Amino acid sequence: MIGSVRAELLRLTRWPVTWVVTGVWLALNVMFGYVFDLLGYRDAVSSGDRRLAAELLAQISPAGVPATMTQGLPLFGGALVLVLAAVSTGNGYGWNTWKTVFTQGPPRLAAFGGTMAALAVVLVGIVVLSLVVDLAASAVVMTAESQALTWPTIGELAEGVGGALLIAGMWAAAGAMLGIVAKGPALSAGLGLIWVLVVENLLRGVSGLLGALEPVTDYLPGTAAGSLAAAIGGVTGSESGGAPGVVTILTGPSAATLLTGYAVVFMLVAGFLMARRDA
Amino acid sequence: MDTAVEVRELVIRRGGREVLHGISAQIQRGVITGLLGPSGSGKTTMMRAIVGVQVVRSGRVTVLGRPAGSPALRRTIGYLTQSPSVYADLTVRENVRYFASLYGIASDDADQTIRDVGLADQARQLVGTLSGGQHSRASLACALVSRPELLVLDEPTVGQDPVLRDELWKRFRQLADDGATLLVSSHVMDEANRCDRLLLIREGEIIADDTPAAVKAAAGTDDLDQAFLTLVRNRTEEGS
Ligand SMILES: Nc1ncnc2c1ncn2[C@@H]1O[C@H](COP(=O)(O)OP(=O)(O)OP(=O)(O)O)[C@@H](O)[C@H]1O
Ligand SMILES: [Mg+2]
Repeated sequence: MIGSVRAELLRLTRWPVTWVVTGVWLALNVMFGYVFDLLGYRDAVSSGDRRLAAELLAQISPAGVPATMTQGLPLFGGALVLVLAAVSTGNGYGWNTWKTVFTQGPPRLAAFGGTMAALAVVLVGIVVLSLVVDLAASAVVMTAESQALTWPTIGELAEGVGGALLIAGMWAAAGAMLGIVAKGPALSAGLGLIWVLVVENLLRGVSGLLGALEPVTDYLPGTAAGSLAAAIGGVTGSESGGAPGVVTILTGPSAATLLTGYAVVFMLVAGFLMARRDA
Repeated sequence: MDTAVEVRELVIRRGGREVLHGISAQIQRGVITGLLGPSGSGKTTMMRAIVGVQVVRSGRVTVLGRPAGSPALRRTIGYLTQSPSVYADLTVRENVRYFASLYGIASDDADQTIRDVGLADQARQLVGTLSGGQHSRASLACALVSRPELLVLDEPTVGQDPVLRDELWKRFRQLADDGATLLVSSHVMDEANRCDRLLLIREGEIIADDTPAAVKAAAGTDDLDQAFLTLVRNRTEEGS
């Protein structure tokens, strides 16, 4: 299994897709978390809207980093890691390489475990990187605006990192499963994206009209991800205009439990299929 | 003589049709056995059964003393599939290192294997941008890198020029001299001449299992192409 972890890690880190996904995620994070908020803040200051200015400043402040780094994950970040994971498991079918690995390599479950472990390492890397980039961006902006720096507590940081890992991990597990189910990268990434970006939102919209659907839509993977991000960001039900995909349906702890459950189920299904089906 | 692979009464169905009709054969250790036969005769299917990825209907395949497909055999087998199986979006070196690290093999050995298949100049090139012959050699490097005891190579020299074919066969000979067992499928008769043993297969049945010289003698000709045609025709006439 060590061999598999090493091999898959080599594949993921040498792979342009990994770096593109990481780069896009960091860029989106800085763009929506800092650049636009900073412009909005300057507008608010010059038009004399003190309340909005204070609100935006709190978001830009280093203390707001745990919230900022999780807000984009339920939708955009989740979609990105889902694609990464789907392509990483699906590619092995697309290029026939699982076939070779399975005949002459380690046992199938070790190959699967190695792939999951390597993906986990990459996710930790992405989350740590976005923490560092966000803290740096925040410090730069705050200093440029001559504002005092207020840092998040260790507990808040841990909450942000843990929440980000849980959300990203659940979507990555979903992607890995789709790549194995569809035995290829293209269809699985496409289906996953449609689910994350379209279907869940449509269902939640419909359930607003059709109460009977609510028990289902309240427990969808994206609902859990959005609820956890809301809980970490201190978003409450009455607030509007938050990041897309961030919803206040479940409490933080139950969202975290549900996310863990989904991740485990997705990985069990993926591992079972990979071990049992023809490559 | 030591047997590396023993196939007994092997029957295989694919897509609802019987493809191998109870074939038996022995492959000796430390030699190169050529698997020859017309397109669609069942060469790939037989190789799949030996490496253990083919559902067997009846019969038995024993590889290095164990049933084909045993987990313990994995590290001892190298399988080159007929269509290349390498990541097109990684470079040659990254691909070979990927397979090397699956077995905990040092990257120096990976680089040596790349030189062995004549891809030293393309090591940093993306596999997707290689020519057809280079692409299949990249795949070959991945099968060779673990220095397996049994190498099952499905048409390893297709699309290669005569000079490269010659080099690859010298390489195969070297591996056999070092103790490896090779089963190599081919359509090219001058390659059959370089094998120690030949298995001729036609429509899912083995029609000859002998040395190249004996196959030629049996057909009463000095030309393997001719011998192959004669044997195929003889069988057809016997059958009808
Ligand atoms: N998945 C499959 N479903 C149905 N039939 C199959 C399948 N795979 C192979 N066959 C059939 O089994 C027969 C033997 O195929 P096989 O691939 O073993 O031939 P081969 O000797 O390797 O041919 P070639 O020299 O063209 O590679 C062929 O008639 C082929 O059409
Ligand atoms: Mg074939």
